Amino acid sequence: MAPRENSHEPSGTPVPLETGFATLATLRPGVKAFVEKDGETRKAEILTKQMRRGKMKFYVHYEDFNKRLDEWIDSERIDLTREVEWPAPEKPEKKKASSSSKKDAPSKADPKNLKRSRSKLDREISATPSESTSVNIPGKASRPSKASGKENKEVLVTSEVTDGTTPKPEDEEIDLVDVQDAAAAAKAAPEEVFSREEEIEKLRTGGSMTQNQTEISRVRNLDKIQMGKYEVEPWYFSPYPIDFATDAEMVYICEFCLSYFGEETSFNRHRMKCTLLHPPGNEIYRDDFVSFFEIDGRRQRTWCRNLCLLSKLFLDHKTLYYDVDPFLFYCMCIRDEHGCHLVGYFSKEKESAEGYNVACILTLPQYQRKGFGKLLIDFSYILSKREGKLGSPEKPLSDLGLLGYRAYWQETIVDLLLDGKVEANIEEIGFASAMTTNDVLHTLQNLNMLRYNKNQHVIVLTDAVVEQRERQKAKEKIKGKRSLDPEKLIWKPPVFSAASRTWNW
Amino acid sequence: MTARVTGQRFRQRKLSTKQNLVILREHEVEKLIDDDPARHVPKVETGVEKGEEGEHHLQAVISAAQAAAQSGGKIAQLYIPTPEAVASKLQYEDLYPKNFTQPATYIRYSSTVEDTIGCPYCMNSEDLAWLKAYNQRRDKRERCSEDEFEEVMNFFEETSQTKQPFAQVDNAPVLSFEDLQAEFDETISESSRRFAKDIYSHWKEQRLLKENHPLLPQLKFETNQETDDSDPYVCFRRREVRQVRKTRGRDAQVTEKIKKLRKELEDGRLLMHLVKRREVIIRDQLAHDKAIFEGRRALTESKRKLGIKGDDEELLVNQKKPAPKPKPRVDVAAVQRGIPGMGQKPPAVRPDGRLVDSDLVYLEDQLNKKSEAIDRFIEENLLKHKKWNVGWIDKTWRPITPPLEQAAAKSDFRPVFTSSQLPTPPASTSSAEGAGGPMEVDQPDKQLDLASRGTRIRYATPPEDVPFQEQTRYRRRIGRGGRIMVDRRGVKRPKLDAIDERVADRYRFDCDSSEDEQVYPVDYTDNLHIRYRIMIERQGDKTHAQQQQAAAAAAAAAMQNRRAIENHNRSSSGHLLPPTAPTG
Repeated sequence: MAPRENSHEPSGTPVPLETGFATLATLRPGVKAFVEKDGETRKAEILTKQMRRGKMKFYVHYEDFNKRLDEWIDSERIDLTREVEWPAPEKPEKKKASSSSKKDAPSKADPKNLKRSRSKLDREISATPSESTSVNIPGKASRPSKASGKENKEVLVTSEVTDGTTPKPEDEEIDLVDVQDAAAAAKAAPEEVFSREEEIEKLRTGGSMTQNQTEISRVRNLDKIQMGKYEVEPWYFSPYPIDFATDAEMVYICEFCLSYFGEETSFNRHRMKCTLLHPPGNEIYRDDFVSFFEIDGRRQRTWCRNLCLLSKLFLDHKTLYYDVDPFLFYCMCIRDEHGCHLVGYFSKEKESAEGYNVACILTLPQYQRKGFGKLLIDFSYILSKREGKLGSPEKPLSDLGLLGYRAYWQETIVDLLLDGKVEANIEEIGFASAMTTNDVLHTLQNLNMLRYNKNQHVIVLTDAVVEQRERQKAKEKIKGKRSLDPEKLIWKPPVFSAASRTWNW
Repeated sequence: MTARVTGQRFRQRKLSTKQNLVILREHEVEKLIDDDPARHVPKVETGVEKGEEGEHHLQAVISAAQAAAQSGGKIAQLYIPTPEAVASKLQYEDLYPKNFTQPATYIRYSSTVEDTIGCPYCMNSEDLAWLKAYNQRRDKRERCSEDEFEEVMNFFEETSQTKQPFAQVDNAPVLSFEDLQAEFDETISESSRRFAKDIYSHWKEQRLLKENHPLLPQLKFETNQETDDSDPYVCFRRREVRQVRKTRGRDAQVTEKIKKLRKELEDGRLLMHLVKRREVIIRDQLAHDKAIFEGRRALTESKRKLGIKGDDEELLVNQKKPAPKPKPRVDVAAVQRGIPGMGQKPPAVRPDGRLVDSDLVYLEDQLNKKSEAIDRFIEENLLKHKKWNVGWIDKTWRPITPPLEQAAAKSDFRPVFTSSQLPTPPASTSSAEGAGGPMEVDQPDKQLDLASRGTRIRYATPPEDVPFQEQTRYRRRIGRGGRIMVDRRGVKRPKLDAIDERVADRYRFDCDSSEDEQVYPVDYTDNLHIRYRIMIERQGDKTHAQQQQAAAAAAAAAMQNRRAIENHNRSSSGHLLPPTAPTG
């Protein structure tokens, strides 16, 4: 394998962490310091820093917190009385060049310049993968991977990447700021390092819309968006025009056409002209509460691109690397006299090789925790039932996605089992709910409902599960149950000819 | 999947997903002594990214849910914290007027965003300030509206985009007003053009500020540069078209498809052309009608003026012959009801309105007509066939299929009784015209011949003296292409005790080995062959009749019988076959 194998093995000989006290001036990207968060002190990694209105601000990622909680903080919140972890030194041969010059680097960092150079430095990184992967090691050491099987694969892949390339000579001449930022940005590279080619190939052939890991830009680029009646704080990076990242305090998004504006004046002008009142496609479902629209990515390219840009703000594992053509978008709306307000949507590959019935799924943050997610999931399974197929959401799921799906699966299966039947068969449950056998099995196992009794497997409706369902039903009685009626779906599974597939959908 | 925690005392059978499992409630399950519920929960793949699976909030919720599933306690209402969404300060009602009315049916919609947003350029605050200042300097009536301003700006933007598509890359200078003016087209209205020159200065200024980049924020698309790949802002790349293997067959297919498309397009065009012509004709016709009408009007006027009276026929619009009045329909039911005492009276009029006696159709006529039609059809086809073959020599055997033998289809096996062997069994048709085949010519004289020689042929009714099963029966059929086949049943081979086994065996070696067997297609039902065979038979008959009329009649008959059987075998299948036992 690789000559540098040792340095890639996180569990082998952990690099001794360099710790020490820091001052505000020496805090730099890559440093892990203790930061006060909601009353407690948490370890957080500084991803970047910037001068804003005369004050130094740090963008931090809290360890073991989701990235959506990353934030800009004032320097006061950093606890300098405790030791910080310095980013591990660079590769031995590079150490001298970079570390000696690093000392005075932070003071030089001009915030504007830093941000501007971001895209440039990202290029730099992928041009020299050997550097970025090796810089990545300290990050790995602190978070040992859980699946040992995967780890082997990691090493293999990483070595593949590193072996083939020799560091470019101009590496030595990299701008100081770039080196700094490269360290930070390189950490964005996740534990599982896929080679870029592999990843892109997977994207191209699979049509998968999950995030290409090496592409993650770790710092949120928009501060706030205005949409409809709400102001929403974005969670993740989204490739909106780069001008917004530097100039716009608030990005205005038209609720109906999802166009984006960096300025209120432009947005107001747009609203005077825009005539769209609902997603630009066919309504395929309508009940008293919601409507669903089916939008073809190929026919409504602009709208679907706008939708993807918007949803990328809230979905980490989504990529906009490739275009929207091979997807259908099912958009859920609530209606009033103003129009059909987009509440959430899910995208679906026109033809999924892996049998996924959902690619990305999102309830807009302003409508979350109101039960819309369940409706979206339910709708995706209603479509699968109509198609006569079993479906499953594309992986990886986000944390919220996992919880949403688990709740839906549990409810569906428990309802099927409470039907009064004496026996059930896992495949039958799957057919009745359009869930894949695996999902059924996992749900049962996860709820400890699949047990071994008197020399045979049995399904146990545990008291806990039944009780939970009953409580839920009682709640529904009070609050009113929101559910979809498959009868109201006017839809035939769309068929795409071989020609449309050949011609790029 | 079914592999559980180690340390179980018995081996579990593998779980089959197709197998029916009993559903039990918790109390129905036997409790294991060392049953620790948590121990049984296997590790289930969550499907969440490995790096994120351990995140604090997710784990908190998952373990809370798990605890609830195990112990049944109330789940703590845990949520994964997310950044807030708050009410906006903007005046929603002003921005989004109440314009939506829901149609009764499901919405069907195909307009794109571009169709619905109007002018894509939306002025920003700087534009607004400039426009305000500009309008203040001008006369009230000559002020530039916001729409006009945007129209001009949009035109400048789009034109420079098309003329300098790589302005961002190659630092092209901002287009001059003259260049832009040369591109004026219908997308920019007359009213807006008045301001174009003035707006240009503002546009250029803005453009220069942005290093000649587009003024509206743009998404970054691929520029086919090396830097594309790692730039997180580059999005919505085109997917490469899946390469299709090129084969000659596919090429041909594509050519065909294109030809077909072309033809369909031309057809469509022709259709449109014809429709147009029709509409033009209709228009002309209407014009003519109008002229006629006007002419008539004029005529009426002049008639009235001149006091000419009578004969106004020509003034009536487009006189038509009075339509023949339909005969008054007699209500059959009413007639019947009208005379209650008289019983059933034959209705004077049939339900379809015609008189009873008129146009009575006779079955005979109909049948004649039908058969005439069929004959004519056949004749026509024959003629047609001949016409096709003019100048060609038809070498096929029997190019025209003879009409089917109707009687043969009905007739079944009929027994035939002969005192001496028949050379060829006669047709089993009951009527003479049924045998329209090639045997027709020589059959009568053959029968006469045989009859005169005292051969007894009996058709149809089996004799009482012989059991039915043992009677010899023949059937002639005409197959495809006019082949004549003779089926036999109940032909008995007399015992040949006189013949040595080895002699009887000879037929086996009578033919060549099957490997180099050559089959000469000889039609045994051909007239020539039949005649030839008859000839041979007759000669044989004569000599036999003369020599052994009394004494050796039985033996000779036996020999001939055998030969005849062999002949039949030949005739039906084309080459020699061993004499099989009679099927009867």
